Amino acid sequence: MTPTGPDVSKTGAGEAPDMIPGRATHRQAVWYRLLAVVAAVLILCLIGVTCIDVVGRYLLNRPFGGAYELTQMLLAALVFVALPLTTADGGHVEVDLVLHMVPERVQWALGRLAGVLSALVLGYFAWRLALLGVSQMDEGTRSASLALPMAPLAFLAALSCAVSALIMVLPRTAP
Amino acid sequence: QDLVMSSWLPPKHPIVVNAFEPWAEDVEKVTDGRVTVRIMGKPLGSPPAHFDMARDGVADITYGLHSFTEDDRFTRAKLGQFSFLGDDAVENSKAYWAIYGGDLDAAKEHEGTHLLGLFMHGPGLLHNNVRKIEKPEDMQGLKIRVPGGYVADLVSALGAAPLFMSSPEVYEKLSRGVIDGVAFTYEAMTAFNLTDYIKYSMSVPGGIYNTTWFFVINEDKWNEISEEDRAAIDAISGEAFAERVGKAWNDADDKAKEEIGDKVDFYEASPEVVAALTKAADRLEAAWADQLSGYDGAAALAKFRKMTGVRGE
Amino acid sequence: MTFSLIAFAILLALVFARVPIAFAMALVGGVGFALMRGWGPAGSMVGNAVFETGLNYSLSVVPLFIFMGNVLAGSGIAQGLFAAADRVFGRMRGGLAMATVLSCGGFSAVCGSSLATAATMSKVTMPSMRRFGYSDSLATGAIAAGGTLGILIPPSVVLIIFGLLTESDIGKLFLAGIVPGILGIVGYLLAVMVAVRLRPELAPKVGDPHPLSRKDAISVVAVLALFVFIMGGIYGGFFTPIEAAGMGAGAALLIAFATGGLSRAGLWQAFLDSAGASAMIFAIIIGAEIFGNFINFAGLPYALSNFVSDVGLSPWLVLLAIVLIYMVLGCVLESLSMILLTVPVFYPLVMDLDFGLAILQDPDMVLAWFAIIVVVVTEISLITPPIGMNVFVLRSVLPDVALGTIFRGVVVFWVADIVRLSLIIALPVLSLFLLQ
Ligand code: NA
Ligand code: NA
Repeated sequence: MTPTGPDVSKTGAGEAPDMIPGRATHRQAVWYRLLAVVAAVLILCLIGVTCIDVVGRYLLNRPFGGAYELTQMLLAALVFVALPLTTADGGHVEVDLVLHMVPERVQWALGRLAGVLSALVLGYFAWRLALLGVSQMDEGTRSASLALPMAPLAFLAALSCAVSALIMVLPRTAP
Repeated sequence: QDLVMSSWLPPKHPIVVNAFEPWAEDVEKVTDGRVTVRIMGKPLGSPPAHFDMARDGVADITYGLHSFTEDDRFTRAKLGQFSFLGDDAVENSKAYWAIYGGDLDAAKEHEGTHLLGLFMHGPGLLHNNVRKIEKPEDMQGLKIRVPGGYVADLVSALGAAPLFMSSPEVYEKLSRGVIDGVAFTYEAMTAFNLTDYIKYSMSVPGGIYNTTWFFVINEDKWNEISEEDRAAIDAISGEAFAERVGKAWNDADDKAKEEIGDKVDFYEASPEVVAALTKAADRLEAAWADQLSGYDGAAALAKFRKMTGVRGE
Repeated sequence: MTFSLIAFAILLALVFARVPIAFAMALVGGVGFALMRGWGPAGSMVGNAVFETGLNYSLSVVPLFIFMGNVLAGSGIAQGLFAAADRVFGRMRGGLAMATVLSCGGFSAVCGSSLATAATMSKVTMPSMRRFGYSDSLATGAIAAGGTLGILIPPSVVLIIFGLLTESDIGKLFLAGIVPGILGIVGYLLAVMVAVRLRPELAPKVGDPHPLSRKDAISVVAVLALFVFIMGGIYGGFFTPIEAAGMGAGAALLIAFATGGLSRAGLWQAFLDSAGASAMIFAIIIGAEIFGNFINFAGLPYALSNFVSDVGLSPWLVLLAIVLIYMVLGCVLESLSMILLTVPVFYPLVMDLDFGLAILQDPDMVLAWFAIIVVVVTEISLITPPIGMNVFVLRSVLPDVALGTIFRGVVVFWVADIVRLSLIIALPVLSLFLLQ
């Protein structure tokens, strides 16, 4: 998929599969590990919310009224926390089929172009999400049952897209 | 001019077929074809985004529920979401248009758009599959899906547990016994295939709850239309639209009642239950009226009930 | 109409220039929308699409079903499945490839994604097949094709997304996928038999398979138990299909700890991969949403359905035309974006058709049948060049195998798929009889 991708076969048979073809490893970077830990905790929370809701309703006859909304919020948080990770890994679905037929210099140039265009899109996402967050703050937008404010989530999303945009413009090199 | 309308209800929903589509055709008629309305087969955003979509011009015309967004925007719109407001969707919608649109200055809460309509559906009922609620204590412990904050406060005041979920989830949860009941209209019982999972449906005079809807057009787009055509469109909107959409809701309710027949035990709430509900409702209404500054919520409610004839005072 | 076709062309150009599909769709969709409506509205639409997609409750199944599969993959369950399947076919020529197909089917019963199934099974089955001198093309073809079963045999992320797009009962869609999934396994097994019959050099004869270890047996039991837990939970009314993802992920963690197969590093990797894959899928959903809004605004779905009714084709011909469109689109589009872009256009069209069969009188049945057809066509697209995602996954896991080799190996399975697709279309009862 990604010509710049590393040799994934080195990960060996004992490990979990790489979901994403051709990811580069950024696992040493502090911010990467930090985001990864947060993402892992969010996945655990997602599992926990459903299990507590389902088990609670049978064992204790006490449903967990906020499960629906908490799931929504946790999901959004997970997606936006994970976006920079995927972006740093070069994990977005790309097609490199034609590229093998052109000289390496052209490949490189196209790769940069793709990076810049992606960064533009992500930067625009960030800008619009920030605007959305500001208007949600002004209007006091909150979730229906738990009354959690929505604006922080929009700002988290904006930040995530901004960071991902930055990663996209930085030249990608295989480790 | 070709106006684009984003519609998020299923294309065959009764108010799409019997209110929005005929309205769109009439717009073309009354403007001699100068203004046309194209209803999108698929919405241009999620349902809660639909007010912003009209305001920001993503689509020209949208509709939606005020309670979609939980924020400080549509505070006065709650007028139409209380209990005991009216059993007829036409009367409800006309009163809502007159009072929220008039005394409570709905236009100000819909800034950036021009109001084409404000409306409500038929009376909301309390359906469940556990027991017939004959006294307030029977509500104790029932898990009820509610559409919003007001009904949640109301049912929890009587000891039931309110739960939130999207409307399509109701079928999944009701059929699995995750919830015992739901606050819905007649029409929603058939629309969401709930008939087999509901045994008792309690109605209270004027409905246990209602939902309020906006129908708006982007303000700039509106101003681009000639004055003459605007007047012609206004004439088939507003109160005329309240009548049209109210009838669509009524017909949908009637059709649902006919379809359900005696598969569900429909009954009127006992005076005891009504009294208990009224007590909780009065408190919630007062709390709402208190937070309106510069508008008289209590008077608006009284006027509403007078118009629909629920309480004769 | 012309405008949307130009947009499609630019989208393809960007995609082939290696712009990630998610951002290419967002870019073309956003700019196209802006050209028609202005930048303010386009910005508002984009902002909402990004934010609301993240908050979509039903999409919570994406990270959870993926995590479930990754946890099981990390705990060595795939090895056990393969060993057990090898006991069944080990003595036959091509037995390892057949065992690969069967264990892919088994893993599909606990994994919601085809890419994850292919990636997991390749690491388990490829070394064995290589050791015994199987040709790379047959070996990788079997994995790539077997992996596609991940989205047909429940649980399935794609069926869930189809259910969301069409507001249909996801539990029913899951049921509808079971028989066609088994049919898929049988078809692939026959494909291997035919291939080794025609060209015996593809698969040398292998000696007696290893005896089944206790651990292998536990793996098989664990997969069966988890499948029964998920499906039983849904149909027994204990939880909804969406909640099933959370419960399944929880159960997978319990199984992994109970069997002791999951190391700390493996668990960490499962978290990391699931988070990464989720962000990738959500980026595509967001991109498809933005592009879809543009296409919708430009009036393509409308023009298309008008075109079909004007031409006045018979219902079966319309369906055939749709399938052909999917086959063509499947060559060049990534599977998830294909479904997100086309299902909203085609399903109202199909719902309006009268096929004249008793079993298709109920609209829910038509929808379930159409869902299975769409998924099978999508499976085919996963192994059809030039953009066959499963083949790409294999190439990145096995960098020393040429893309062409994998695509060559896939041909015989592709033929089996076409036969299966024809059966599923001609006999709706195959998909629907579990629903009656
Ligand atoms: Na599966
Ligand atoms: Na393809």
